Amino acid sequence: MNYKRFIYYQGTIGMASSMIFPFYILLIKNVGNSYAQFGWSYGLFALTAALCYPLIGKYADRVGDKTLLGVYSWGMAVLLLCFPLATEVYHVYILQVLMGVLGAVQKNSEKTVLARFVTKELAGTQIGRYHVWTSIAAAIAVIATGYLVDFLTIATIFYIASLVYAWSGMQLMKLKEVEAEI
Amino acid sequence: MKKIGLVLLYCFILCLSAYFYSAHLHDSTAEAHQRLLPVKIRTVKPGTDEKELQQLVQNANRSGDILSIAGMQHSQGGQTVYPDGIMVDMKPYNQILEVDEDAKTVTVQSGATWADIQEAVNPYGLSLKVSQSQNIFTIGGSLSVNAHGLDIRHGGLSDTVLSMRVLTADGEIRNLSPTENKELFYAVIGGYGLFGIILDATFQLTEDELYVTETQSMDFRDYPAYFKEQVKAKPEAKMHLARLSIAPESLLEEMYAITYETAPDQSKLPEHKQLKTENLVAVPKFFLGLSRINDAGKETFWKTQKTYTEGIDGKLVSRNNVMRSDSEFMEYDNSRKTEVLQEYFVPVDEFESYIPELKAVLEAHPDFNLLNVTVRYVGQNDNAVLSYAKEDMFSLVLLINQGTDPESVADTREIVQEMIDVTLAHRGSYYLPYFGYPTKAQMQKAYPRTNEFFQLKDRYDPDHRFKNLFYEEYRP
Ligand SMILES: Cc1cc2nc3c(=O)[nH]c(=O)nc-3n(C[C@H](O)[C@H](O)[C@H](O)COP(=O)(O)OP(=O)(O)OC[C@H]3O[C@@H](n4cnc5c(N)ncnc54)[C@H](O)[C@@H]3O)c2cc1C
Repeated sequence: MNYKRFIYYQGTIGMASSMIFPFYILLIKNVGNSYAQFGWSYGLFALTAALCYPLIGKYADRVGDKTLLGVYSWGMAVLLLCFPLATEVYHVYILQVLMGVLGAVQKNSEKTVLARFVTKELAGTQIGRYHVWTSIAAAIAVIATGYLVDFLTIATIFYIASLVYAWSGMQLMKLKEVEAEI
Repeated sequence: MKKIGLVLLYCFILCLSAYFYSAHLHDSTAEAHQRLLPVKIRTVKPGTDEKELQQLVQNANRSGDILSIAGMQHSQGGQTVYPDGIMVDMKPYNQILEVDEDAKTVTVQSGATWADIQEAVNPYGLSLKVSQSQNIFTIGGSLSVNAHGLDIRHGGLSDTVLSMRVLTADGEIRNLSPTENKELFYAVIGGYGLFGIILDATFQLTEDELYVTETQSMDFRDYPAYFKEQVKAKPEAKMHLARLSIAPESLLEEMYAITYETAPDQSKLPEHKQLKTENLVAVPKFFLGLSRINDAGKETFWKTQKTYTEGIDGKLVSRNNVMRSDSEFMEYDNSRKTEVLQEYFVPVDEFESYIPELKAVLEAHPDFNLLNVTVRYVGQNDNAVLSYAKEDMFSLVLLINQGTDPESVADTREIVQEMIDVTLAHRGSYYLPYFGYPTKAQMQKAYPRTNEFFQLKDRYDPDHRFKNLFYEEYRP
């Protein structure tokens, strides 16, 4: 994996995740309806992530970033296919817990790849540039999706995002391990 | 190898998900997105069996609680809710009790939807006589608004009800029919849940038939004659609807009509008999979405609708399938806007002079976001106390996109009231299940028996056990 490819990959999944996150609330609204339920569903997400980090951290060094990012991409691709089927609040809770695990995998790997790539002296510039591109991708996705929701059903958004994740997973598989290039 | 396996596995799960999602979509009870009337009700009590419902009414009589009755809650003017009241949810009370193939009747509990009935009677080659254009509504909700639809041959919904059982405010269950408790029968039909809980009803059915679709576009001025000569006078024409353009260039000028006529060759019915499920909703939803945005979108929407309609000319379709048209694509999610319906009735002979005046109102308010106008026919029928079909009428359903902030609501109210004034001036009336924009005086004029309706309410429910926001808004 080279650095450009990595930015490209992060941009893609950034797009997919920003397609669903802000709008995801529209789904919860159809399923649950109290602020406490919103609170719980996001709380569970953060909590599982917290519990997973130590474990993921350990694995990251053993199995490699590429594998973990693959788990994330394919995991999300499949998980998003379950969202349109959620009809009860507890379904959303379960999905949130799983999203928490995958979210932690992604956050951790994002940072480890960066740590392995950036040269200490240029870290500021490099990470800055990294954020520019991933943020632009995310912004475009959010705005475009805003329009899309008006036209399509919420479920369609989840399916589209899932396909984007699957595509990102496929891109990953084409790449060589990070370590190989360092 | 591993890669292909993974991709295949993903595709498999994708198909599985899409399959379950669409299956769930079809039996889901998706609620209308109606955010104009947020009302806090105390509790929702599901109607499950007759004894419990009776108990519920008796308890309310003791405690003084107000009851409101809800079906699918597609009515838009608070007809199913009352602040701090108990809402009786009739959806779970939805059994098909009996299909009598020889007598061609069906008896159902009131929480069942038309879709439930269609599934039960289609195997017998039977079909409803009258229902709305869509089949998503409950029997109780449809009877309580005295619904009408595409059928032009079987009179009003009230003509198709042989009898029903109603749990009245005193906690008793009464049999009602055109001959037994007649007065209450015609108050409950179109009674907006104010006379008691409809428990079950028996409907007269007709035979399922194969229809051939006839479409025609025309100028609105030619429509009344077209309808009289090419539709009403043709015995094989059974169901009918038309659309008026909402595109700025041809606003309320161009029309197209769709008529379903008994096919000369009925032998193909078995091939078309299977009940269809909702097609791909994304396509119409996309065009309706365009139409919401601006005038160019409306032109595109209208053109697409016209092309689509030309495309269905000559197609064969079963009666049951005509009576289950799509509605999913109308679902609309927007936190600050919502979509509401209005429906006006004008005598057939007034149509030509009425439309230009309606158009003048619309053109005076260029910001008014009108998305669709459907025209149907309702034959004269004054069975129900609150009857809208005082003569043979055309009905116009308007789909309107509006903001939910107080200012937008006030703007829409003003325009709606103007449109209703125009309608009333042409001896017309308007439909009551929608948002309470009309004034009390307009209701009195559209429904000359309004006072009688509320007097009957006082007589049959002296303690006002059954109430809803519609009642609060329009009672004397
Ligand atoms: C998209 C759309 C399309 C429509 N198309 C048509 C159409 O083609 N033709 C037409 O005529 N109308 C049409 N309507 C209006 C529709 O018929 C009414 O709103 C109807 O009442 C909806 O049925 P529901 O089950 O949602 O009833 P609800 O909205 O739940 O209830 C309506 C009324 O019935 C009362 N009620 C419900 N169940 C019972 C019961 N068991 N006993 C006593 N009272 C009860 C309620 O208290 C309330 O007053 C349409 C509405 C929408 C939103």
